[in-house]
Amino acid sequence: MTTVTGGLARARRGVSPGGHGARRRPSTLKSQTRRTYLGMLIPSVVLLVLINGYPLVYAAVQATHNGSLIQAGDFVGLDNFTTVLTSAAFWRAARFTLIFTLVGVFGSWAIGLALALLLRTNIPGRGLFKVLLLLPWVVPIVVSSTAWNWLVATADSPVPRLFEALGFARPLFLADPVLAGVLVCVFKVWISFPFMMMMAAGALASVDDTLYEAASIDGASRSQQFVQITLPLIARPTYISWILMTVFCVNDFPTIYLLTTGGPVDATTSLVVFAYRTVFQDFQTGPGVAVAFLMTVTLVFVSVTLYRQIRRAHVE
Amino acid sequence: MTPTPITRRGFIGTAAAAAVLPILAACGSSKSSGSASGGGAPSGVIKFWDMPWGVQSYSDASKKITDTYVPTGQHLKASWQGIQWNNFYQTFASAIASKTGPAVSTGGGFQAYQFADQGAIAMADNVVATMKTNGMYDDLLPGVLDGFKTKDGYVALPWQTDMRVLWYRKSVFDKAGVAVPTDWPSMLAAGKALKKIGVIGFCTGSGAGNFLANHWAVSMLINNGGGVWTPEGQVDVVTDRNLEAVEFMLELVSAGVIDPGAVGFTTDNMDSQWKGSKTGYGLYGAYLPQRLSDTSGDILVAGPLTGPHGDKTTLQFVNNIMMYKNTPDQASSEAFVLYYLQQLKTYWQQALVGGLPVFKSITQLPEFTKDANAVKIVAEYSPIAKTFAARGTASTANTAVLDGGQALNKFAQSILTGKTDAKTILNDFATGLKSSVK
Repeated sequence: MTTVTGGLARARRGVSPGGHGARRRPSTLKSQTRRTYLGMLIPSVVLLVLINGYPLVYAAVQATHNGSLIQAGDFVGLDNFTTVLTSAAFWRAARFTLIFTLVGVFGSWAIGLALALLLRTNIPGRGLFKVLLLLPWVVPIVVSSTAWNWLVATADSPVPRLFEALGFARPLFLADPVLAGVLVCVFKVWISFPFMMMMAAGALASVDDTLYEAASIDGASRSQQFVQITLPLIARPTYISWILMTVFCVNDFPTIYLLTTGGPVDATTSLVVFAYRTVFQDFQTGPGVAVAFLMTVTLVFVSVTLYRQIRRAHVE
Repeated sequence: MTPTPITRRGFIGTAAAAAVLPILAACGSSKSSGSASGGGAPSGVIKFWDMPWGVQSYSDASKKITDTYVPTGQHLKASWQGIQWNNFYQTFASAIASKTGPAVSTGGGFQAYQFADQGAIAMADNVVATMKTNGMYDDLLPGVLDGFKTKDGYVALPWQTDMRVLWYRKSVFDKAGVAVPTDWPSMLAAGKALKKIGVIGFCTGSGAGNFLANHWAVSMLINNGGGVWTPEGQVDVVTDRNLEAVEFMLELVSAGVIDPGAVGFTTDNMDSQWKGSKTGYGLYGAYLPQRLSDTSGDILVAGPLTGPHGDKTTLQFVNNIMMYKNTPDQASSEAFVLYYLQQLKTYWQQALVGGLPVFKSITQLPEFTKDANAVKIVAEYSPIAKTFAARGTASTANTAVLDGGQALNKFAQSILTGKTDAKTILNDFATGLKSSVK
């Protein structure tokens, strides 16, 4: 077993039994080339700063004032943040955002990876399946949310009828707070798995088949190959897809708003929906933008944490 | 070949930028949309922004009215711009903030109060004064103008009303062998009778984009002599009358008169219930048969309910036309508004809008009187209708917070889910509302 595992580890790293080859020296750029690169970067950097900088500063002003969208109002320091952080509604939204994000990221990743692995095999109609599986991602969310609403909205909708045919009571997905939460999460997974499938398929394509052949010769089982070869070798793109999907989920407004508007009774209100409603329905600009800032801080923290995992995922 | 390593600092910066952009796009970057919306209009023209109050032919008619306006004397011409309902408040707010907004507009029911509160609205007192001299004031239906009078003057002028009306399907009531409700006990009894034949006893909904349950909940409060505000405009939710009303609504839920899934119903879902005769009774806007394309004559206006203490009322939203201080010439704005109000009959003559007129003379047009339901609404509902401002009369900027805010939505949904007692629901409503209003 040790021999098999050791061989898999060596194969994963591309190291022959004889040991490491000569290490590449880090490339160095001549100073002139560096200056050229820098000069070419400057326009983009300036544009990026202007595009990001102005809204950021404007939002910072709003978050620390008690005004409206028209008037800045008076400076209130961190009062808006205090108001938000002591609000039960904010923490309910934060809790749902966490659940929604965890389910959205890992649910869509698990399904996407499974389908990517399946589509690597020589199943008939593979090309057609690839196209069909992309549809949830391609179809505009307004259309898909309307379709889902039709599927579950009333007791006479197709899905509740299906449950009844299977011997269960007809569930009211949009009327029950728990079921509404489940529905929104499942909907998110459904529209997101094609993206994860594409990311996983791209990562899997870069894995050299000879590694599996070598592992088979060494006696590794399918599951050992998956755990010892596939997962480590696709770890880096996997972490990147997790980061992206985390950002997608936390900032996902339409999925929730179009399906439940955050209801019933705030059960599916995420932070971004909460921020929107606070600013544009309750007309409390300062607290709403403060929520957006807190989301940003959280997202940066999560992104950095996952980025550390990317560095660890380097094959040594 | 080794991949180009990403530096940690670079990655953090990129991640932060990626995270910030969409959030700020939602909350902080509204200026750009306003600029786009407001740009291009020449100076020296009264910019009129109108919402799509009906089908495309409404907008065409509105544009034609504006384009054919021939100002008298020194007054300026007017230009027309259609504004979509999606994110309309952001559109107006950002345009006003950047001084690129309209001189005259229609808009949200309480928009004028909000912008007046922020010093952007030009009062319409001069227009009202002129209307008093030319007979238009006396032509107004009762109660449609009073709500616009604030301590600073008239913030806007009415042009149509969006009434909440009780409708019933006659064939369903005939089948159930029960009379159309006239008060709360008969509403409960009729609902139970309809339920026995497998029909929803009261159709409402609070799903995505559907505010009819919000409207129903408030209308029931004021139908019992209650409401959300004191006559002076302060939040006053936890009262005996309101408690009684909420308890009755919860009774309708627990008795199964209201569909247990109603909390998730969109207006499309409700329309399906009406079309399929799966409901027999409910609150909706005017012109429900037209909305459903139902020409059977089976869907009729029911009379307004009498509350347990004799109160008889319903909820209405008075859609209005407002003027802004950012105008090239206030007198020209006023002249255009007066002209526009005089042209309103076109909309009802051509059946272009879904609301009711505010002028008696329009309700007497043959194109209007041929609809017996509309005539009944004007006769029975208009005289008793109240706005969200009840128990007061004039709305305020706070009324806008009530209208689309989270507190009212949660209030209505809490009733429809029926999992909490009336006192708790009202206390939560009061707490939520007080945290939002000024």
